Amino acid sequence: MDLTFFLILDAVALIVATTVLTYFFFKDLLKEKGSK
Amino acid sequence: MEISSIDIGIIVGYFVILFVIGYFVKRRIHSLDDYFLAGRRLTLPIFVATLVSTWYGGLLGVGEMSYSYGFVNWIVSGFFWYLVYLFFAFFLANRIRRSNLYTIPDQLERFYDKKSRFLGAIFNFIMVSPAPYILSLGVIFNFLFGVELWITILMVSFVMIFYTIRGGFVGVVYTDVIQFILMMVGVAAIIPIAVYTYGGFDFLSSALSNPELALTYFDTTKHLTLTGTQTTQWILIWGFIAFWTLADPGFYQRCYAAKDDKIPKKGILVSVGFWLLFDICTTFTGIYAVAATQAGLLEVESALTSYLSIAGALLPVGLLGLFLTGLIATVMSTADSFTFLGAMNISHDLYKNIFKKDATEKQVIRATKVGIVITIGFAIVLSLFFDSIVDMWYYIGTIGISAMIVPILVGFFYKGKKSPLAATLSMIAGSGTALIWVIHGYLNSVGGWPFYIGGVEPMYPGLLASLIVFWVVNIVHVRRMS
Repeated sequence: MDLTFFLILDAVALIVATTVLTYFFFKDLLKEKGSK
Repeated sequence: MEISSIDIGIIVGYFVILFVIGYFVKRRIHSLDDYFLAGRRLTLPIFVATLVSTWYGGLLGVGEMSYSYGFVNWIVSGFFWYLVYLFFAFFLANRIRRSNLYTIPDQLERFYDKKSRFLGAIFNFIMVSPAPYILSLGVIFNFLFGVELWITILMVSFVMIFYTIRGGFVGVVYTDVIQFILMMVGVAAIIPIAVYTYGGFDFLSSALSNPELALTYFDTTKHLTLTGTQTTQWILIWGFIAFWTLADPGFYQRCYAAKDDKIPKKGILVSVGFWLLFDICTTFTGIYAVAATQAGLLEVESALTSYLSIAGALLPVGLLGLFLTGLIATVMSTADSFTFLGAMNISHDLYKNIFKKDATEKQVIRATKVGIVITIGFAIVLSLFFDSIVDMWYYIGTIGISAMIVPILVGFFYKGKKSPLAATLSMIAGSGTALIWVIHGYLNSVGGWPFYIGGVEPMYPGLLASLIVFWVVNIVHVRRMS
């Protein structure tokens, strides 16, 4: 398979992983606020 | 470089957010633990965001290296480091968290004595100098807006001083989360657009290997190979520099600050995934910049500003602002963390533990605030002496690692009796040998390049001297002690 595909896949994976981590960050933050 | 008002608005908005976070997080600080380590409450997502963004500060330096040397950048700035990160995650991270301390010099005192703490604090202070990052920020703003370097350095320093003084480590980690998101999205966005505009791997290999298109003064024909045109020794020395991680105060600080002793290991493993994806994007952005230059499609002022040139040429309004903010955020997140770490060396390691043992929490926090100003002042002076970010990393890394690695690793892994004198002398011998080697090479430079004795880079004799001195003195001194 063309290496270009993997390069684009890498960039997309980075954005997806960042979105997931951000989601968990806000989830933790809201949980912390709720427990106060 | 022309920037639209929308893009400028995005950059200004980012700085406003930093100010706002700095202003509000002060409410979360009630004790010294809160100020130094965010109350040791870092959850996994915050741990990853702050570690990834802090660790990755030299984006312009990485651009300089990818542009100049090609894919080998991924080997020297990525691959070697992943191996050391994994070692750190499996063998050190949880132990550090369980020790419940604050800094690396704390560990040195635990393993040896006060003198080791004192020397360790000095070397730590040099290693965490935010100078390369302050210089990077100066270069970025100078390139973008044409503002004088010293003015931009002072402006950026002011923003950083504000939120680190006010918010302490809490301010640092919460701004890191914003900076983490910006740097990941900004860097990832450029790759698909570069592929769409210039073409895929076919474009890269033809532009880099076609001698007729060789517009730049250096050889790019090996840019897509694993080692490029570099010598094995040059590549290996960067492998040794990766050992920096084992003595990196930022890693230790985040491990100490984790909510429980499982988070550091998990967090580092997740972070390695992010670094892997991120490094591939940054390396290929640099390679695209040099290939487009070779093909006559892009004008690049210098290797150091190649990312800025390619972003300016490729990205539409809005996305350019996002990319530039991501670039600034990458550097800012490291500069602020390092500034805070330097300040902790001054207030916690030196002021509280050496000079004024009965200092109250309030006095230590005040000393940290003074330390922040001193650390930034020192960094500004340092950044005036160097004009290459890569050079600055190299020299700071060489001298700092030569001093710190041996005593730290022996402390963690050697179960026998350890001599405090051996630790002190090995730090002096390691850093001293590396420094003499650097100065000798500099005084005998040929054509502007340092010439080292036997062609050997300074870190090797530095580490060797540190190891030998530790070993010999430890044997002799432990015998005498018993």
